Amino acid sequence: METSETKKILIETTNEYFESQDFNEKANEDTVLFGKESVLDSMGLVNVIIDIESRFLDEGYEISLTSEKAMSRRNSPFRTISTLAEFIEEQVTANEAIDE
Amino acid sequence: MNKKVMVITGTRKGIGRYLSEYYLAKDFIVIGCSRSESDLKHENYEHFCLDVADEKAVKKMISAISKKYGKIDYLINNAGIASMNHSLLTPLSVVEKVFKTNVFGTFVFCREVAKVMSRKKFGRIVNFTTVAVPLNLDGEAIYAASKSAVEKLTMILAKEFGNYGITVNALGPSPIKTDLIKNVGEEKLNKLLSRQAIAKFGTFKDVSNIIDFYLSDNSKMISGQILYIGGVF
Repeated sequence: METSETKKILIETTNEYFESQDFNEKANEDTVLFGKESVLDSMGLVNVIIDIESRFLDEGYEISLTSEKAMSRRNSPFRTISTLAEFIEEQVTANEAIDE
Repeated sequence: MNKKVMVITGTRKGIGRYLSEYYLAKDFIVIGCSRSESDLKHENYEHFCLDVADEKAVKKMISAISKKYGKIDYLINNAGIASMNHSLLTPLSVVEKVFKTNVFGTFVFCREVAKVMSRKKFGRIVNFTTVAVPLNLDGEAIYAASKSAVEKLTMILAKEFGNYGITVNALGPSPIKTDLIKNVGEEKLNKLLSRQAIAKFGTFKDVSNIIDFYLSDNSKMISGQILYIGGVF
């Protein structure tokens, strides 16, 4: 999966969530998902993560964003759409390696 | 998919087998699982062989169901094992086994199925506890401790899942004649029954009656509740 494609899915899914919550925001790759500058509260982040996981499942990629690895990183992969895209890419690549 | 889709754990025998047949008769699609094969054959029944505490296998199962049916309406976390022995004679390996199946298994199923349910903003989860929790039965320290954990999970998940339209409740059967209590002596069972307001053995029907209540569309305001059979409190 191309990084641009991963980012596109993340932006679409985040925008869908923003719309469902009537947030007047448009996501881009620098959109902050986690931390003080995020427009999402903690439950909002949980919802977006679930939506992203199921969106990737629909696309045929089984990813788990709630791994211990993700939680224990010094720089949270959830910080922005870009960092999350990188983290997802790592998982997809690792899963493909296992499947081969 | 108009039919209701239900996941039940521990369906090979006992209460799980009964519930599978009971809800198949109501025209539900039932997806069951157990560590070994099931001989239940029905066009609306599908079986997965797995250990409920095997996180990867559970994820695979739930993802396959989600892809096939697009939803899960109901989850019945019935799979459970007991350890009825004095705590001084209980090895740690048994404690680990009981907690893995009863607590970890229940948690993993709740988490994975709730993700699917949250997409439809509807779901009913029913967990299994036991009267050994309120009665503090001696000889059942580990079993009761694991089910206490299930009760607390039920209450807190009810809060966490409430906004997704998912209710989480539990029921605690009094002794029902299944394999779970086959090694408990008659004297002990009678002593236990005498502590219930209604001193009788429970039946499978008592279990499905409570589950029907929890699953009802009218029960959308019922969550985080623990209901014991036999008048135990």
